[in-house]
Amino acid sequence: MPLSLAHPGEYIVTGIGGKRGMFVRLQSMGILIGDTINVIKPPPGPVIIAKGEIRIGIGVGMANRIYVVPKRGNR
Amino acid sequence: MWFLKGEIDEMEGINMVIAVGGNPNSGKTTIFNALTGSKQHTGNWPGVTVEKKEGEFTYKGIRIKVIDLPGTYSLSSYSIDEKIARDYLVKEKPDFVVVVADASNLERNLHLFLQLKELGQDILLVLNMSDIAKSKGIRINRKKLSQILGIPIVETIGNRGKGIDKLKEAITNFVPQGITTPGYFGRKFISLIEKMVDILREDSILYPPYFVAIKILEEDPEFIKIIETSHSKEKLMNLIIGAEKLSNGDTSTFIAEKRFGYIHGVFEECIEKRITVKERIYLSDRIDKVVTNRFIGIPLFFFLLWLTFEAVFKLGNPVAGWISDYFSWTASHISLFLSAHNVSPISISFVKDGIIGGIGSILVFLPNIFILFFIIALFEDTGYMARAAFVMDKIMHSLGLHGKSFIPMVMGFGCNVPAIMATRALESKKDRILTILINPLMSCSARLPIYILFAGIFFAKYQGMVIFSLYFLGILLAVLVARVFKAIFFKGEVAPLVMELPPYHLPVFRNILLISWERTKMFLKRAGTIIFGAVILIWILSSLPIGVDYASPNSIIGHIGRIFAPIFRPAGFGFYQASVALIFGILAKEVVVGTLGTLFGGAAHLGTALQNYFNPASAYAFMVMSLIYIPCIASIAVIKKEAGTKWALFAVSYSLTLGWTMAVIFYQIGRLFL
Repeated sequence: MPLSLAHPGEYIVTGIGGKRGMFVRLQSMGILIGDTINVIKPPPGPVIIAKGEIRIGIGVGMANRIYVVPKRGNR
Repeated sequence: MWFLKGEIDEMEGINMVIAVGGNPNSGKTTIFNALTGSKQHTGNWPGVTVEKKEGEFTYKGIRIKVIDLPGTYSLSSYSIDEKIARDYLVKEKPDFVVVVADASNLERNLHLFLQLKELGQDILLVLNMSDIAKSKGIRINRKKLSQILGIPIVETIGNRGKGIDKLKEAITNFVPQGITTPGYFGRKFISLIEKMVDILREDSILYPPYFVAIKILEEDPEFIKIIETSHSKEKLMNLIIGAEKLSNGDTSTFIAEKRFGYIHGVFEECIEKRITVKERIYLSDRIDKVVTNRFIGIPLFFFLLWLTFEAVFKLGNPVAGWISDYFSWTASHISLFLSAHNVSPISISFVKDGIIGGIGSILVFLPNIFILFFIIALFEDTGYMARAAFVMDKIMHSLGLHGKSFIPMVMGFGCNVPAIMATRALESKKDRILTILINPLMSCSARLPIYILFAGIFFAKYQGMVIFSLYFLGILLAVLVARVFKAIFFKGEVAPLVMELPPYHLPVFRNILLISWERTKMFLKRAGTIIFGAVILIWILSSLPIGVDYASPNSIIGHIGRIFAPIFRPAGFGFYQASVALIFGILAKEVVVGTLGTLFGGAAHLGTALQNYFNPASAYAFMVMSLIYIPCIASIAVIKKEAGTKWALFAVSYSLTLGWTMAVIFYQIGRLFL
């Protein structure tokens, strides 16, 4: 499912779509496919995700292109 | 022994040149400030750290020059900041790089470190904010980490100045590590890279071949071009295909995974983290729940914006009043003094109206501008500015702009020059240029005196409302123009927003003061040069040819004005004084008021003189013209620098056309009602 449908809680990143630049940027910020992220501010609207100590704001457009699955034990 | 870098440095007695790099929000600027103290200068307008900052310090007799690199996450070609940092290191070859890393966030910070290593840099690592890391339960085995990475490491608490002496000691004792080939890509992959390096070495490339090979494999757009020009293109292609096979089709992800895998391994060895099962929700996250809430976020932002402008004008205006009083007091005393000494009236007018009046009319804005810069710096320092961009992203998107476009637009109310520089935060070139083009429509503080003057005379009762209407007109036009340009020149989607939200922290007062003062100083410098020059130029042009009445239609300035005047007849101000004021306003918009003052025989007569020439409709049209007609010289220069000559010319021509059209429309409509 896209990140734009997520609820607060833990998810695993399964794919990052869109332009290459954004993919590389997320990568260099430390968000890789297979990583566990924590949704701090859920949609609608822009989303805030956390990985470790990092907080990243993701606009609506990008949230549609990041694919996640809920981590087991999370709802 | 230390090698001397460049002849200039040698002449200046510099013994060593170092660069300070690191992730955004790693406290890099704090470390830079702590190292160099007040001994620093910004080569240009600062947009936080996007512009090159230099400083120096002397430790134990060794003079060290420090360059502050832009904060970056990697060294790709996808953002200007990363390119600036990369090119500086390769072209200027500093002795070594001090990498500032947030100790509580080491994993990601080490990613940049590895890329710098791949670029062949010698590195000294600074673990900053080590107190915060400790409070979060992160323990770093510094010795072991230093051993594994093969570099010296210093711990600091930058904002409290702790560990700075140790850092200086480590800098002066630094021993180059030499280039080592990182082993984390795996043997097979590395041998592929090495084969590429052998080929690339024979192509003349600015960058180290090892770095280029990796960047090609990462499909970095700028480096992929190198394949085309290589002397053995086919061999190179075969190697790239080979690498693709090794990495199951996605080389770029493979490389990133290897880097992070290595970092992870280092972590396991050197870092002890008392992990709580669930991610901890910090105070910062709790604040974000409110600040970025979808119902509270936007109203809160507008409330803060309103509060900012209240502060700028309510707190600034009384001080501005004192400054203005002081200057008119000085002017009248000096002119009394001069006339007592039989100085000719024209020279007196030069000193009084020209020099003192001209400079005074600029310094009057100093309090307002300083307060605006102070509040903007406060928002940046506490971490709120990033949230503002985040919150505004959706609205800005619907206008064809980016969330990050909003910050430059707000800054534009202060001065368009730093605002245009601040657009560098935008990753996409399209978004940047669009944001730059509409920025001059945000009514900067230099235009305010024009509004105050005209609104005060012609709309005394509704002065506040009229001035507000001009700001609003500027914003409205910016939105409309953005939509039109977007549809014509910048088709396609706006780059999506991905930005780090640094944890909130209490503002460091000294830092904010330093930043806002730096920016105000740039404004003052401009007042001292361009505007002063303009005043003298006006005075000369108004006095020549010899014997002519000052600023009369027969003076040079009168001739110039008369050529342009007919163009403005449909806008209601077709007399040469208005044209002359507008021409000189290009130097700086503040000059419009000063010029009108000079041309109409001094500030004292300005009120009555203007009433003879303008009516409310043409006065409003003139204000509209002043708002739109052209970016000032400094803005044009910075547009040229940031977007290129073509776009600078375009900005000039579109604004002239739009300004004239709007002025004519407002005059023709206004004439019917006013």
